[in-house]
Amino acid sequence: MENNKIQTDLIYELKERAKELNCMYETQELLSDKEKSIDELFQHLTKIIPSGWQYPCICFAKITYKKQLFQSSNFNETKWELNSDIILENKTVGSLQVFYSEARPESDYGPFLKEEKKLIENITDQIKSYLFHQHLKSIFEDKHHNKKINKSESWKILDLLKKTNPKLLISISRKMVNYLSWKRISEAEKLFDYYNPSEEKESGLFKESNFPYRTKSEKDEFEISDKIFEVTNKYLDEQEILDNISRWIKYDQSSFLINLMGNGNLSLSKIINILERYYHLKNQGLLLSPIREKNLRVSLIRRLLSDQADFIKIAKNFIDISEINELTNNIIYPKKSYGKLGGKASGLFLSSKILEKSKYGDNYSTNFKIPKTWFIVSDGLLNFMEYNSFENIVEQKYKDIDQVRKEYSYVAHVFKNASFCPTIIKGLSKMLNDFGEHPLIVRSTSLLEDRQYSIFAGKYKSLFISNQGTKKERIDELTDAIAEIYASTFGPDPIEYRIEKDLLDYNEEMGIMIQEVIGKKVGKYFFPAFAGVSFSQNNYRWSSRIKQEDGLLRIVPGLGTRAVDRLSDDYPILIAPKKPNLRTTITIDEIIRYSPKNIDLINLEKRSFETVKIDTLLKEYGKKYPKINQIVSLVTNGFVQQVQRFGMNFNKNNYSVTFNGLINNTDFLKKINSMMSVLQKEFSYPIDIEFAHNGEDLFLLQCRPQSYGEISKPAEIPTNILSNNFIFSANKYITNGTVTNISHIVYVDPQKYSELSGYNELATIGRLVGKLNKLLPKRQFILMGPGRWGSRGDIKLGVNVTYSEINNTSVLIEIAKKRKDYVPELSFGTHFFQDLVEANILYLPLYPDEENNVFNESFFEKSPNIFPELLPNYKEFSNVIKVIDVVACSEGHFLNILMNGNENKAVAMISE
Amino acid sequence: MTTKSYNPFHTAQQQFDKAADLLELNLATRDLLRNPMREFHFTISVRMDDGTRKIFKAFRIQHNDARGAAKGGIRFHPQETVDTVKALSMWMTWKTAVADIPLGGGKGGVICDPHHLSQFEQEQICRGWIRQIYKNIGPFSDIPAPDVMTNPQHMLWMLDEYETITGAKYPGAITGKPIGMGGSQGRTEATGYGVIITVREALKELKIKPNKTTASFQGFGNVSQYAIELYHKMGGKTICVSSWDNDDKKSYAFRKKEGINLKELLEITDIFGGIDKNKAEKLGYEILPGDTWIEQEVDILIPAALENQINEETATKISNKVKIIAEGANGPTTIEADEILNRKNIFIIPDFLANAGGVICSYFEQVQNNTNYYWEKDEVLSKLDVKMTTAFASVSDFAKENDLKMREAAYVISVNKVAQACENRGWV
Repeated sequence: MENNKIQTDLIYELKERAKELNCMYETQELLSDKEKSIDELFQHLTKIIPSGWQYPCICFAKITYKKQLFQSSNFNETKWELNSDIILENKTVGSLQVFYSEARPESDYGPFLKEEKKLIENITDQIKSYLFHQHLKSIFEDKHHNKKINKSESWKILDLLKKTNPKLLISISRKMVNYLSWKRISEAEKLFDYYNPSEEKESGLFKESNFPYRTKSEKDEFEISDKIFEVTNKYLDEQEILDNISRWIKYDQSSFLINLMGNGNLSLSKIINILERYYHLKNQGLLLSPIREKNLRVSLIRRLLSDQADFIKIAKNFIDISEINELTNNIIYPKKSYGKLGGKASGLFLSSKILEKSKYGDNYSTNFKIPKTWFIVSDGLLNFMEYNSFENIVEQKYKDIDQVRKEYSYVAHVFKNASFCPTIIKGLSKMLNDFGEHPLIVRSTSLLEDRQYSIFAGKYKSLFISNQGTKKERIDELTDAIAEIYASTFGPDPIEYRIEKDLLDYNEEMGIMIQEVIGKKVGKYFFPAFAGVSFSQNNYRWSSRIKQEDGLLRIVPGLGTRAVDRLSDDYPILIAPKKPNLRTTITIDEIIRYSPKNIDLINLEKRSFETVKIDTLLKEYGKKYPKINQIVSLVTNGFVQQVQRFGMNFNKNNYSVTFNGLINNTDFLKKINSMMSVLQKEFSYPIDIEFAHNGEDLFLLQCRPQSYGEISKPAEIPTNILSNNFIFSANKYITNGTVTNISHIVYVDPQKYSELSGYNELATIGRLVGKLNKLLPKRQFILMGPGRWGSRGDIKLGVNVTYSEINNTSVLIEIAKKRKDYVPELSFGTHFFQDLVEANILYLPLYPDEENNVFNESFFEKSPNIFPELLPNYKEFSNVIKVIDVVACSEGHFLNILMNGNENKAVAMISE
Repeated sequence: MTTKSYNPFHTAQQQFDKAADLLELNLATRDLLRNPMREFHFTISVRMDDGTRKIFKAFRIQHNDARGAAKGGIRFHPQETVDTVKALSMWMTWKTAVADIPLGGGKGGVICDPHHLSQFEQEQICRGWIRQIYKNIGPFSDIPAPDVMTNPQHMLWMLDEYETITGAKYPGAITGKPIGMGGSQGRTEATGYGVIITVREALKELKIKPNKTTASFQGFGNVSQYAIELYHKMGGKTICVSSWDNDDKKSYAFRKKEGINLKELLEITDIFGGIDKNKAEKLGYEILPGDTWIEQEVDILIPAALENQINEETATKISNKVKIIAEGANGPTTIEADEILNRKNIFIIPDFLANAGGVICSYFEQVQNNTNYYWEKDEVLSKLDVKMTTAFASVSDFAKENDLKMREAAYVISVNKVAQACENRGWV
């Protein structure tokens, strides 16, 4: 019931705003009609105005101008009145009045709304501006009719300005001096002196004065102005003078914008009002000087998108005021908001504009779309917390990280049960009307996120919502998702990351970006044909022929979550977009084994995000799956064949996801390569993008700087290492790097780990690694363990840790016991890997069973284990986790790891 | 860190020498058969995708073609050596001889790693290989087939190049082609069925009725699946099968004492032969550690997965009930284990006899190609039965006549057949 009332009220209010806006637009349109006389216009206006009021049937308007009366028919003056004076040249020349003929309930101003008060003022403003221009026009027109120009015409204007707008006169005079000197009229040089303080001349040009400048009186200014125009009249003809004055007067109309440009503290609603006004005036012929236009553009970018100098430097070349204005239609903000859109949203907006406009672009780079997007500004989070009195939670970030971890689930719970302020609810409701019942993704766009060098990859959540059902259900689902994302700000991982990046003391302002999910409805499901991530740099190279700059593409059928996240039970297709023919999988076994087996999608019936087997999906909906022939290949006896659109039989044959059709028969890679290259050139740093394809169009979903680890030099691998000092070697998938002064080794024994029986015991190993991560000297220890660190799926495959539990290590080593048909998946390109690259944590896979590899078993077996001393409460795990104090057991020497990617060799040795 | 370098060709020669001693072959025959008759070493120049040229080393070894055209695979491998290829070509000679098909032995390879090559570059290697060797191979002289890291796609590129150069259609020049492009029906079933045909013949010899027997299989891939199918048709009962679990990275044995139901197991098995252990448990299977397959109280053990599975340690766990071991996989039994099995008086059907179904089907593919007439699956499988039965009988008879173990007999009989052919032709 309560909600129904809110909804009715909301609709009523929206209708009122629409009426007011209509009235404004009609007024504006009428006043720009150059054919009609003033009398006609005013008469007409009195008919239009009542339509903007709450009770139009009993509403009447009256305009008084220079003693003339204009009014609606059946006019009666009553006590229920709103009025606004028309003031021109400092004189009241008339007024606009609005009356109700009958009593109506009491509101803000008698029966009138505060919005109506604003409306009447806006209409008078428009009338004033109209009258002023009519006046100027008459002067200019007189002069045009009179071929022989009368010298006194410009003086007439100047006189008029003296009376009406002295500031404008002064500004025009100054501009004229500049203009004259620009025309190299020597007499103008002297005129400059008028604007220079006399003291300066006396004390020398380059010496700074200690006295304040003497301000000139208005009278002085007028005298100077007269002198300037005397000179001007000598050198310029009347036509030129008038042209200039009229141009400068037009520029001056935009002076209200200075408020925006000068004032960094303007609220968002004011900015949007100013923009609205700017567009009203623009339609009436307002001109901005190129410099002012640029200034406005930069101010808007700084205020709404990002105040990062690097961002503005690029953005100002690609983003127009009109584009920002358009963007504001989709911004939801609390009252008195000073927020911005946040990194992810700004990044996407800017990169889409770069791709549209860059000089490096071509037909491929411009052939993309971006999804319809709405935004909640960054201070929406603070507003939400204030509204629910959550002030104490802000302090969460200063607590001990273990405390943060413990309390996180409580924070999430509290957030999800809190409510949003009515302004935001109103905005969200409007947004949902715009989207309709289309699945949505709610994403974080934090001010700290997605700056270069601090990419919070995957630290905050993105949530899919089905957005199906009644409006109430949809609002509930949406606010629930937003609250969850807000809560993720106070999770241990982001806070840990912020501590590390020295960003903790900044206020975490979290914007929200709400995008339509790209895809098609197929049966009861909704999903894109395919989606993925593309990186400028390939930090994982599966062939020596692939260079770092060949890039990396992780691509999956369905929603891109499976390409972005680290998977333990599945594989995305990996492609080096500039060497697409060098694939990671070659034999039939590999092709089948390492192809994606699952697909993420939205179940519209159950209104949930789901993962289903591709096989099952294809059997049911194969023929309806968009562009399926570009995604799968037919696998027959030892043979992978490209499939044709027709003749596919998903119940009879085996198909594997290969993307062979997409790579070989479409221009998809050309598009990706071209987009990546344009973006990288314009940003001048490597980037990564997220994309999705609905079967018809390619959509850009995100663009941000790729974590940019320093490209380390290949280490020189010594050839004669004493066997006692030789700890291990590796010769596969090696990157470059050198790590010295390693004092401790944390070794999770693969065999003992695999023998742990219970889930709890396995999970405890992860927590214990986290504790060691805090205890051991930062960046002076290495972690060695079985399979895949941080595996999100089967815990048996690797120690289950989060980034915050390993962030102090210097090298993360995965030990792969080789089996006949099993090569463990490496942690490349995933959120986790990006973390490692960003933190300069090196990654090294070890294959101790392979020929020619050294693995010093006796070192690991015989060195004393200090784990029980470090964590005495967990002694029972000391057979699984071994901590070796390298320095203590090697007479003061450290462990060094030398890695050479070019030779594909790495060694760990005790320094000699 | 010194490793004693292992030379597979020397090993093959030593093996041959033993058989030659038994057969008391003369010097000329030994000299002929200890070495390949022809070795082709050549290079292939390939224009790489980036425009550069790269030279690849390639081989074709024809060990012996006294009994018919040389037959053997082509492998792409970065660590390929001519010694491996020579050894493998010799083994092919013995394999075709023991299967009693009119073909000889050959093998080829290119030193390259397809993991670092595009499809286009691989195609160029295949075509380049044919351009260098087409004069010395062909449907009536030497017939390549897929091997390590080559597949039917590579065979089709090679065949296409061969036919382009020769200007005619010779589908029999290469085997291992997909069905519809000259491939034979029944290839998928051939190896598994072949294993059971030899088991059937062994049971006949031991005078045991198949419907009174039980079996345990290692592995649940192609070979096991079809072997179990045919074994069940004969009335046998499988009570245990082991399978690799790719999620857990270990294998499990699935046991049902009243006998497994092949159909229901196949429904919960992935394309690699991995059985879903949770579903299997629901279906009433006991889930045991993978290596328990060998300890089962059964009549027949069929290792059909990996090498060296029956070794000194595991062989002792074999139940006294076991009467037959049929080697579906290549080299599943170590030399030490062989002796233990002999002591236990277990009848061993050696790998190159038990799994000869594959090479026999390749021969059928070639026959159909050369006549340009293609048989239905039933026809292929019934001809397979005849061939396998004959091959088994000749080995088994030879073993009895000469008081040899089956493994020894298989080896000796094949060397004997080849030596005989050489002599008949007047080569030695």
